[in-house]
Amino acid sequence: MMDDFEKQIQQALQRKDPSPFFEARVLATVRRDAQARRARWRMWWASAVAASLLIVTGSAWQYQKIEHERIAGEQAKARLELALKITSVKLQKISHKVEQIEN
Amino acid sequence: MVFSIAYHYLRDRSAAEEVAQDVFLQLHRSFDDFKPGPDRDAHLVHWLRKVASHRSIDATRKRRTQPATGLGVALDDAPPPSVPAESKDFLLQQRLETLIGSLPEKPRMVMVLRYQEDLMPEEIASLLDMPVRTVKSHLQRSLAMLREKIDRSMGEIR
Repeated sequence: MMDDFEKQIQQALQRKDPSPFFEARVLATVRRDAQARRARWRMWWASAVAASLLIVTGSAWQYQKIEHERIAGEQAKARLELALKITSVKLQKISHKVEQIEN
Repeated sequence: MVFSIAYHYLRDRSAAEEVAQDVFLQLHRSFDDFKPGPDRDAHLVHWLRKVASHRSIDATRKRRTQPATGLGVALDDAPPPSVPAESKDFLLQQRLETLIGSLPEKPRMVMVLRYQEDLMPEEIASLLDMPVRTVKSHLQRSLAMLREKIDRSMGEIR
């Protein structure tokens, strides 16, 4: 139970209203904040997409480079094998001729 | 409610509006946290009171580090023209407002929540994150101090 003195305090502390433009000001601030947050969110998405594109492009370039080196390596290997095969055939022929001369 | 808590605590209309605006902005940002249900309104009111109280206390601390202009208080202290200055009740209420405004941070907020929002000590304790007996002790001490100062100043008026 409140006594008279406490009731006087309650009277002194009764609710007060803000200025008439307060509500409009709050709404404008909230709107501005929402727009700024949306802009930040869009910026974040754009950065994320740009970073993803950079990673994909970089990976594709790296893959192409490795593939190019692999094909070049295989071609070099094939050429070497061919050269060895030709050399081997020629050596066989020479060896054959040497054997004929010796006999 | 939000503006009024800040106003009675800070005794400065523009500072109170700034605090209230911050509270509503925070409410807008965290509105999705309030799940629809039967307790939603009560939860919302509790949240608003809690954030308004803490923001008001923070604002006083921030103001202490900045030079005060005193404009807001001066304007708010001017009596409204419709109320006669001789009115004893009006003088008493003006004096009470000033005295409550001069209380230390925590007891001042306890008084505002008790007598403006009509909250029980248990609810105030939960809002201000302090033990119930601390709330009760703040209330008793503040009331005793106010009674003594009011008796003295009303005696002077008489």
